[in-house]
Amino acid sequence: MTEMTDMRTVYGETLIKIGEENPNVVVVGADTTDSLKTRPFGKKFPNRFFNIGIAEANLITIAAGLANEGKIPFASTYAVFLPGRCVDQIRNAIAYPSRNGQNGLNVKMVVSHGGLTVGADGGSHQQIEDIAIMRVIPNIKVLIPADAVAVEKLIRLISQVHGPFYMRMARSKTPLVHSREQEFEIGKGIILRDGSDCTIASCGITVKMALEAADSLKQEGISCKVIDLFSIKPIDASLIEKAARETGGIVTSEEHNILAGFGSAVSEVVSETYPVPMRRIGVRDQFGESARDSEISLLLQKHGITSIHIANAVKDIRSKTR
Amino acid sequence: MGLNYYHILKRVREARKLVIRGTTSAGSGHPGGSFSMAEMMGCMYYKYLRYDPKNPLWPDRDRLVLSKGHASPGLFSNLAVAGYFDKSEIESLRKFESILQGHPDYKCPGVEFCGGSLGLGLSFSIGIALAARIDDKKHHIYTIIGDGESDEGQVWEAAMAASKFKLDNITVFLDRNFIQQDDYTERVMPLDEELIGDDISEMWKNAARWKVGDKWRSFGWNVLEIDGHRIEQIVKAVNSALQTKGTPSIIVARTIKGKSVEHMEDNPKWHGVAPNPQFSPIIELEIDCQFLTAPSIIAGDMANLENEVKRAVHGRADFIHLDVMDGMFVPNKTFDHEKIRQLRPVTQIPFDGHLMINEPVKKVKNYVDAGCDIITVHAEVCDESSFGEIHDVLRSNEVSVGLAINPETELPSWAERFIPDLDQFIVMSVVPGKSGQKYIESTHEKTQKIAKFLAERKFEGLIEADGGVDLSNVESCFLDGARVFVGGSAIIEQKDVRGTIAEFRKRLMHARRKLLIHKAYSLGGTELVNKWIDLHEVGKKKLELLQIAKEAGFV
Repeated sequence: MTEMTDMRTVYGETLIKIGEENPNVVVVGADTTDSLKTRPFGKKFPNRFFNIGIAEANLITIAAGLANEGKIPFASTYAVFLPGRCVDQIRNAIAYPSRNGQNGLNVKMVVSHGGLTVGADGGSHQQIEDIAIMRVIPNIKVLIPADAVAVEKLIRLISQVHGPFYMRMARSKTPLVHSREQEFEIGKGIILRDGSDCTIASCGITVKMALEAADSLKQEGISCKVIDLFSIKPIDASLIEKAARETGGIVTSEEHNILAGFGSAVSEVVSETYPVPMRRIGVRDQFGESARDSEISLLLQKHGITSIHIANAVKDIRSKTR
Repeated sequence: MGLNYYHILKRVREARKLVIRGTTSAGSGHPGGSFSMAEMMGCMYYKYLRYDPKNPLWPDRDRLVLSKGHASPGLFSNLAVAGYFDKSEIESLRKFESILQGHPDYKCPGVEFCGGSLGLGLSFSIGIALAARIDDKKHHIYTIIGDGESDEGQVWEAAMAASKFKLDNITVFLDRNFIQQDDYTERVMPLDEELIGDDISEMWKNAARWKVGDKWRSFGWNVLEIDGHRIEQIVKAVNSALQTKGTPSIIVARTIKGKSVEHMEDNPKWHGVAPNPQFSPIIELEIDCQFLTAPSIIAGDMANLENEVKRAVHGRADFIHLDVMDGMFVPNKTFDHEKIRQLRPVTQIPFDGHLMINEPVKKVKNYVDAGCDIITVHAEVCDESSFGEIHDVLRSNEVSVGLAINPETELPSWAERFIPDLDQFIVMSVVPGKSGQKYIESTHEKTQKIAKFLAERKFEGLIEADGGVDLSNVESCFLDGARVFVGGSAIIEQKDVRGTIAEFRKRLMHARRKLLIHKAYSLGGTELVNKWIDLHEVGKKKLELLQIAKEAGFV
């Protein structure tokens, strides 16, 4: 049985640890601090914790002001509101201001409730456009970790690297895919399985699906390379090119609209470096709907985001290329 | 400490001219909103803000966040005057690879916020203010927001948050100029009461219509409402804001869009349009030709000078002119610094102290301490050394420096070296000593000569006409080169002080229009005169201009 972990809990715990080490770390929330698990940080560091209320535009711009003064603000709420509610503020107050070689202000936008797996709250609250929104804004780096190990390591990492980051977590508990010793580097993918017949590049909760797909394909004699491309921007272009050369085909998977999302980012690299056939697994440009926790697998299935869909995509590429 | 009135005024004027230079060179930009906030910017950069142009990111500096970023020329021009970069840089405004982008940008040293997308600046200021609180820093954050900008909901999110966090290290200026891009604010989205008709002066007249202060009050803010073009009101409001603890403050400043350039004033068209370069010299002259009235209270009831000050205040005087006579330098005696001290609490309007006394160097500090904002001493009783001493005492106390000469006196040669640094120069047009004398006609010629002489020697202050100035001669005094007008019996002796001052202003405005029409004619003949007149769309200005041009035979 795979160990399940809660990204948000790890996020909250990690914040306290880095908050102890670095007095410049501050946290801003928007009436979701309980849900985002940032409240314990506020208990521990009351003068470095600000609840702005249900006002995401204000939240993000206040965070920009804090960063302008040398603070390292972690601004957190649900993905549907951040970026959804405050693209202008992210663009103009955080990403745009640049001086002394530092591009963008040092705000860490860490959100939860990304993608369809929000579940019961329904389509209005299932953010499937955030990668697209955030990656087209210059200076913003975009991360989608696959599990709680990645969350812990990446939160620590982005607190140490200057610049605006957007990082999306999932609402529900997620299985561990990384070992606790795994090292992370911004802009570098992690090869989880090596293989020669096809590449599966994934992010977020779909990394686990990619591994399952690779396992089942292996039994059919198809050897897949599986890459966790948690760093969507900057993206690991050399790793993608190498994978294209070595395996001749790439399937991507994401819990996001396939338009302008993760798969698109990978295909941009592939088409400019070493074009090979690709398939993108993700939401096909439509909205989600409510699903209770027990039904989320059905919701994902309806949108074609399962290990089976990934495996079929691999087989599809292979059938068309020989 | 005085207001440092002329120190601010001169720089505001220079910054305004740089706005014209920049936007004209760029061919676009926003002069209107740059001018409505000009005096507030002046008070900020030349009185309140602590900063170091050589070290723009000095951590303890005060921050000025221009949230209404489209008024960037109004910011850049002041950064230039404050010494962040060379003034000639203003001509690169909005051009390729310039540090002066269309909206405020960190490319330009001294810019504290990349503004332009409206509604963000106050939230950003809150972030700065919270960081200062964490670090126990004492710097202050000033934020300028627009009235059109206040349509943005985020302004009100920020209003709530600043109040919640009790950010008394934030002071906001609301530049209430009643105009946004499309139209008058009250038509686009009312902040006060919906405007009926075209006359926005209606909004000004009736304070009962002003609601926006109440909005901020209801959000828990300390609200101060002022005329945003009057330096003394800005200063009083900022002082009050800085002393207010536990809540943020907002200064609701009623202003005029395009202030100081008549054809731009109150005309929504000048929100975001640059002037045509052929008009720049005329506009610059207009900016140089702002005028002030200074009623002299000794013309009134000497037994109740408090009341005379109040009448002048009610009359909307720019200065209160205080004729101090000691019975020695002049035969009469009026009052001394003790009286001025008693009068000081009556108003914030600048006290324009005219010391007709012997040995002013020995007594000038008393007048500083009594609350004078401008002190003028007589050349007849000074020499280079004593005037130098007076100058230093006044400067170090932020009191503006004036020098006066009697009708029979010529400008002494020792005074020449002080000319570039003088704030005010009085050419007496009566023999000083008593109120109610007749203007000495030869003063016109003398003033013209002196104006030219001073201009050639980099004089940046204003000439004050003092003695027998009345409605019949104030226009010619203006055309001589005077810009401050002392009215004794002609104002204070009149029953309706406000009406009389208004009439003075009307005559002065007429004289200024005449001067500008002549300037236009000298630059471009009838064609330019006609074009200049056509710019004046709002109100009845156009008719008067046309009349002036006809009388001069220009059209």
